[in-house]
Amino acid sequence: MGVRAVLGPVGRETTYRRWVYLIIGGALLVPYVFLASTLVSVAGDRMPIGLIVALILLVMVAAIVVMSFIPAVRVIEGTAARELLGDAVPEHATRRVTSWPARWRTAAWAVLHLLVGGVVSGITLALPPAVVSSLAVPFTGSFYLGQASAPMPKGWAGAWIPALGVLGLLLLVHIVSWCGALFIRLAPVLLGPTPDDELAALRKRAEHLAERNRLARELHDSVGHALSIVTVQAAAARRVLAADPAFVDKALGAIEESARSALEDLDHVLGLLREDRAPTVPQWTLDDLPGLLDRTRIAGVAVESTVDGEVARLPAAVSREAYRIVQECLTNVLRHAGKVPVTVRLAVREAELALDMENPLEGADGSRPGGGRGLAGMRERVTVLRGQMSAGAQGGRWVVAVRIPLRSGMRDEELVAE
Amino acid sequence: MITVLLVDDEELIRAGLRAIIDSEPDLSVVGEAGDGAEVGPMVARLRPDVVLMDVRMPAVDGIAATRHLLETFAEPPKVLVVTTFENDDYVYDALRVGASGFLLKRTRPDDIIKAIRLVATGDSLLFPAAIRALVAAHGSNKGNRGLAAAGLTEREAEVLRLMATGLSNGEIGEKLFVSLQTVKTHVGNVLAKLGARDRTQAVITAYESGFITPA
Repeated sequence: MGVRAVLGPVGRETTYRRWVYLIIGGALLVPYVFLASTLVSVAGDRMPIGLIVALILLVMVAAIVVMSFIPAVRVIEGTAARELLGDAVPEHATRRVTSWPARWRTAAWAVLHLLVGGVVSGITLALPPAVVSSLAVPFTGSFYLGQASAPMPKGWAGAWIPALGVLGLLLLVHIVSWCGALFIRLAPVLLGPTPDDELAALRKRAEHLAERNRLARELHDSVGHALSIVTVQAAAARRVLAADPAFVDKALGAIEESARSALEDLDHVLGLLREDRAPTVPQWTLDDLPGLLDRTRIAGVAVESTVDGEVARLPAAVSREAYRIVQECLTNVLRHAGKVPVTVRLAVREAELALDMENPLEGADGSRPGGGRGLAGMRERVTVLRGQMSAGAQGGRWVVAVRIPLRSGMRDEELVAE
Repeated sequence: MITVLLVDDEELIRAGLRAIIDSEPDLSVVGEAGDGAEVGPMVARLRPDVVLMDVRMPAVDGIAATRHLLETFAEPPKVLVVTTFENDDYVYDALRVGASGFLLKRTRPDDIIKAIRLVATGDSLLFPAAIRALVAAHGSNKGNRGLAAAGLTEREAEVLRLMATGLSNGEIGEKLFVSLQTVKTHVGNVLAKLGARDRTQAVITAYESGFITPA
């Protein structure tokens, strides 16, 4: 207590940051004040002053509330609060929100910020001239404020007036500090995440963790296993290098095979990790092919299709890309050849996925087949999967052939399963 | 001659370990099993000194197989659990059911050999630091488990602490200025009083009871 408690806030940097925040609130209030006074003065002339003030307040608050519903306004308001009031303001305050409970609470914050800020700004503007003026009172015997002046006791008898002025300044510093503390208290409640937000974030994190654990387990099982074989076999081979060349030969073969399969597994797991980033769009796979063909038929294209082999056992990435390739092919047919009959043949073989599509060239609109972005996109997808693709006219028909190697054979059931 | 039984569902691991072990004149692989279920009958028939036991196997896992061995045989072989990763949750379980130690599959051949010899003689603790880390990560202080009641003498308690650091009987003797025979008597008493079948079990009991802190 004592001097420290009284002068403490004066020396603290945070006090002045809080002050800036409040003054910004006051500055933001100005246009609302003009808006509200204009509207109210237009609406009614001869109203009692109390009613006018109440109406102005009401219109102001309503306008502030509506403005702060805009997500971008919240981001600016929240960022200012976090920068000037410190990290006690939750990070969530700087994010866009769209849920109505969150918007209402943002609005409450904005109203408080602007109104309290307005009052503090007013005092901040008015007080310093008054204090300066009060310093002169003991010498001049009168208190000037603007044009007006009031007679005051001169000399030592008036010494309490400048003292009062300085006390007033000190009080203002305390008010600012206290208001800042109030906002810091309120920030988690009004700008923090709602319980629903927290639940959603928690669920997301749990899902993320589960996914990470799944990947860790996968690496543990597949790559760990393969590398163990590599280590043990290499160690053994080195030990019996001279004594048992036949064993060394077999060991080298085992090492090669294990390392290769470890790389394939890594490929898949890393692929899953990369996919992790943008899984927001629905991921169609060849399992959804019947639906795609049905939709194409509804669009007026006669589709004839055959599927050999178990599509469901394809690696997920292959299945997904193959679906998109079929989709792009069908789109191309519609765009370039019009509503002509299309044949789609899909075959899942031991080491590759074969996709053949063809359609007659003569188009309803006579436009040139092939080319364009669709074909480029298809090539890109096929290249990523290290496959091969050919597309071109053959005897009056447009023929597309795609081959995608299934490098791991069919050992990736688990990966496809989810 | 130290005889070894290999238990692992991966044939390539067994073949590699066999080549490493058989390259030593005093070690010999006497059998291979591809699953924990085959271990009991093979141990009864072959009477190996040491069993190298994989943890994860299709039918009966290494923990169940270890437990079965120790319950079934009056004089069971020493079990060395072989695993891919050090922080494998199963390793600690295996030690608790009575395995004498564990080996990583990536262990260097010389250390694999050393570990087998060490476990066969039971003269000192295998990988004391790793066991300490495992207890720190998994072990809970499940009460005193009768350690206070075990009534170790001051000397025996001292010997137990030194056992936990991985010292052999000879090294403990040097440290305490007593003969090897005396150390052996103390170690025997410690094992008997704790109801432990070997040093590993005694040290784990000591850690778990809080008698030694795995800090």
